[in-house]
Amino acid sequence: MELVQVQNLCKSYPDAELGEFKALDNISFVARAGEVFGLLGPNGAGKTTALRILATILQPSSGTAKVFNFDVQSQADYVRHSIGFVSNNTAIYDRMSAWEMVEYFGRLYALHNDHLYPRMEKIFRKLQMDEFRNCPGAKMSTGMKQKVSIARALIHDPPVLIFDEASLGLDVMVARALQAIVLDLCDQGKCIIYSTHIMREVERLCDRVAIVYKGKILDSGTLPDLANRHNQNDFEELFFELLMQEDVGSRMQRSPVELPIAGVSPGLRSSYHGRNR
Amino acid sequence: MNWSHIKLIFHREVRDQLRDRRTMFTICVLPILLYPLMGMVMLQVAQFHREQHVSLGVFGYENWPTNRPLIADGDESQIRWKKLSITGEIQETLNQLRILENSNDSLAEIQASQHFIVDAKLAEKLLKKVEADAIIWIPEGYDGTVTSTQLVVLSNQRWEKSQLAVRLLADRLDAWHQASVRDRLASTAIGVSVLDPPQIKQVDVSVPESKRALIWTKILPFVMLVWALTGAFYPAIDLCAGEKERGTLETLLCSPARRKEIVWGKLLTVMGFSVGTALLNLFSMHFTTAIVMTQFSNMGATEMVQSLGPLPIQSMGWLLLLVIPISAMFSALALAVASLARSTKEGQYYLMPLLLVGMPLVMLPMIPGVTLSPGTSVIPVTGAVLMSRAMMDGEYVLALLHLPTVATITVLCCLLSVQWAVRQFESESVMFRDSERSSVAQWIRNVWRHRDETPTVNESFFCGLIILICLFFGRLSLGSMTLEWASIVKSTVIIQIGVILGPALIMAAMLTRSVTKSLRLSSPRAMDVVVTVGLAFCLHPTYVAIATAVSNEYKLGDQTTAMLTQFDAIIGSTSIWYVLLVLALLPAVCEELVFRGFLFAGLMRNGGHVRAILVTAVLFGLSHGVLQQSITASIMGLVLGWLAYRTGGVACTIVFHIVHNSVSMLLAASSHNKQPIPQFLSWALEMDDGRLCYSTVWSTLSVGVAISLVAWLSTGNTKDRRTNSQKSWERVAQEAKQAIAR
Repeated sequence: MELVQVQNLCKSYPDAELGEFKALDNISFVARAGEVFGLLGPNGAGKTTALRILATILQPSSGTAKVFNFDVQSQADYVRHSIGFVSNNTAIYDRMSAWEMVEYFGRLYALHNDHLYPRMEKIFRKLQMDEFRNCPGAKMSTGMKQKVSIARALIHDPPVLIFDEASLGLDVMVARALQAIVLDLCDQGKCIIYSTHIMREVERLCDRVAIVYKGKILDSGTLPDLANRHNQNDFEELFFELLMQEDVGSRMQRSPVELPIAGVSPGLRSSYHGRNR
Repeated sequence: MNWSHIKLIFHREVRDQLRDRRTMFTICVLPILLYPLMGMVMLQVAQFHREQHVSLGVFGYENWPTNRPLIADGDESQIRWKKLSITGEIQETLNQLRILENSNDSLAEIQASQHFIVDAKLAEKLLKKVEADAIIWIPEGYDGTVTSTQLVVLSNQRWEKSQLAVRLLADRLDAWHQASVRDRLASTAIGVSVLDPPQIKQVDVSVPESKRALIWTKILPFVMLVWALTGAFYPAIDLCAGEKERGTLETLLCSPARRKEIVWGKLLTVMGFSVGTALLNLFSMHFTTAIVMTQFSNMGATEMVQSLGPLPIQSMGWLLLLVIPISAMFSALALAVASLARSTKEGQYYLMPLLLVGMPLVMLPMIPGVTLSPGTSVIPVTGAVLMSRAMMDGEYVLALLHLPTVATITVLCCLLSVQWAVRQFESESVMFRDSERSSVAQWIRNVWRHRDETPTVNESFFCGLIILICLFFGRLSLGSMTLEWASIVKSTVIIQIGVILGPALIMAAMLTRSVTKSLRLSSPRAMDVVVTVGLAFCLHPTYVAIATAVSNEYKLGDQTTAMLTQFDAIIGSTSIWYVLLVLALLPAVCEELVFRGFLFAGLMRNGGHVRAILVTAVLFGLSHGVLQQSITASIMGLVLGWLAYRTGGVACTIVFHIVHNSVSMLLAASSHNKQPIPQFLSWALEMDDGRLCYSTVWSTLSVGVAISLVAWLSTGNTKDRRTNSQKSWERVAQEAKQAIAR
């Protein structure tokens, strides 16, 4: 069952230098129930913009996006009830405890006490948050804060969960715990969209992946499909090659005479060779 | 709107603010502590002030007339007298100051002499040496009359105590002189009674409570509004910029609460704290003044200070009514402005100007003589303050009379402020604005590279601002010119071409790709021109009526009236063709090219024709120096803006403006020259008090004709007159609306 459908989605911003900056350039993808769909791309690729549109925080310039068959523009209220959004930007309130924070969002989702408190207890137990349930946000560690964010996103039991670079800044232990939570949610039949630029996370978590670069989807599919298609088993290498090709392609379009040597852009060449060493 | 969301957000924000120690201190604790502390300081200062004495050195006291001494035995006044004798070093200093050697000069000579101020440093040294705040020197043979030699007083007006010493000495000398005169008169047949002024028996019918209220009504609205602003200031920054900075706003934006609900929740919080701060200040002030003023009364303070007792309770009730709508307005404004900021620091930068803009509106009611009237009731904040003052004074009929106007203006301002705040929250560019590097060179390069056919909205606003600033300085520098025809021509040409048209032309040439489109120059339809001419003639009587009403409401100053009379005289004595060329044609062309041309073209973007009409009307009004003119010009600006929109260019508005100005000039010149009304116009014009004015028949008829002409211009067949760029912008806006609706 396709819970997220994105069709020819575009998003442009006015830009002082370029006149218009295309953050998303005609992207399309679908994500199904019970799968983790990865959006992989370097910083500034457009992942966050796409996910913010799905979370109804931003409006698309053109194209359509549907969550749980609700349109993000015309049925934004329903969409917001159908998603849980966790990102490294979704901070928690400094002067509220973990319990109060989750309770507040539960009430915003119009959950009644009979349903809200048992669910909160369950989530707090599951995410091992009981020991800091009364701790104010300002005194929490990054890992604790991220757990509160997840609890906040899960409180209304949404069918779709969006994680936007949620593991950014977490230590290995907490990052592992987060991955376990994601897999557990996937097993519960949730549709999870997971954006990251960490290859290992993608390999561990994602059933299908879309590689995003400069607002476009360069390729998408399951990891074995991608490996076969590009004849490259190392996913990190595959990712780099795709980015290189896109860079070369766009340079050729701009000025065909100035072809970079060996088809690798100077900016990325050092890191490419560096990784090989 | 889902009110449960608003309630939840409101509760959360209030709880959050109450947990913030800094906010709590500024908003709740400070008001409670501030006034008792201020009262304590005032009591101390008052005590200090009472005990302040000055030291006055006297040289040659033995020369003072013996019949009535200046210093009485056991004199314990504020002046501490120091009888000084001229000894060695002092003698030398006095010689250097050349006081002694001038002692025998006549009065005229001493007055003309500058000797004792030549060496100020030496005089200051002398004052310090004798440890006196001022020194009086009594020359030999002084008999207390004006014909005798003059008393010399050395003081240093840089020292406050020295100023006080001279003042007290003058009072003492005055008292001595009066007593001396009385003595002399007593021994004559005239008698002392001639010196006594007429006796006045003052009967004050006001009750002490209302007197107290009168003083408080001047002070309290100001204090309350300042605190209402301060109370809104910090929560607004924390709830918008602070949340953005901490990243919690994005969390809220993806929750089920809509933007409007978030704004209302936050607005109610800010408003709650604003009202709370104002009220806490009010109560704290009330109790502190009650105690402090009692102390002052015991200390024998002046009648004015004594009358400042605690504020009557019923007056406080009226203040509560004032503070709610005003807090709502300031809170919404503060919230909208704070939402522009990305950080708390940036929020403080943005909100300071709001405080400065709000101040004049709050200060205006404090000017003596400003009362509730149709004119003041339409001014936001000022009207509400004056209204509450009228209530406190017990003038309920006056207050009720103006209640509809004040309530409408206040509610309108509140709604507009809230709407603005909501729009800020709905704007992605405001909510997710990245930090920008400020590089002037880069900005100029981008402006040049991406310049459009017509100016942008920001460029239009910038141009309007530049023109207003240039007009301010231009008028100041030309203000000293004498009022004669040559100087009128000179100033009109400089203002119209150099100050108004110049910046717009330069910006059109530099910032846009098409000067013609930027100035909205297009050939009009012949029928439109004919209708416009008719409309200008028909609306002139209405304009005159409005101008008269405005002048009656906001009285012109004597100086302005005299200037206008002189201006009419100059027009009357100059060739009418010159007058029409300089005062009708030139301003019409320049002002229309700028206000309905360049500024209008930019503001029209994205289907903003209402914005264009309103903003250009206000700017057009502000460009006229006199307040009365500004009001009528703004009203006329609305008509011209609408005409510019309907006809798609400036040609018709130029025609309208020329006709309008010409008729005004012709009427003024004819009135001054006392020319008889031509036979063919006798049905439209009449003489009233030596001035030409419109007949009642034409004044009434013209309204009907004007409405018909406006209706004709509003009909569908005029729609195609709009320019291509105008149509394309409207099309884009329409498509965007449809896309959003989809």
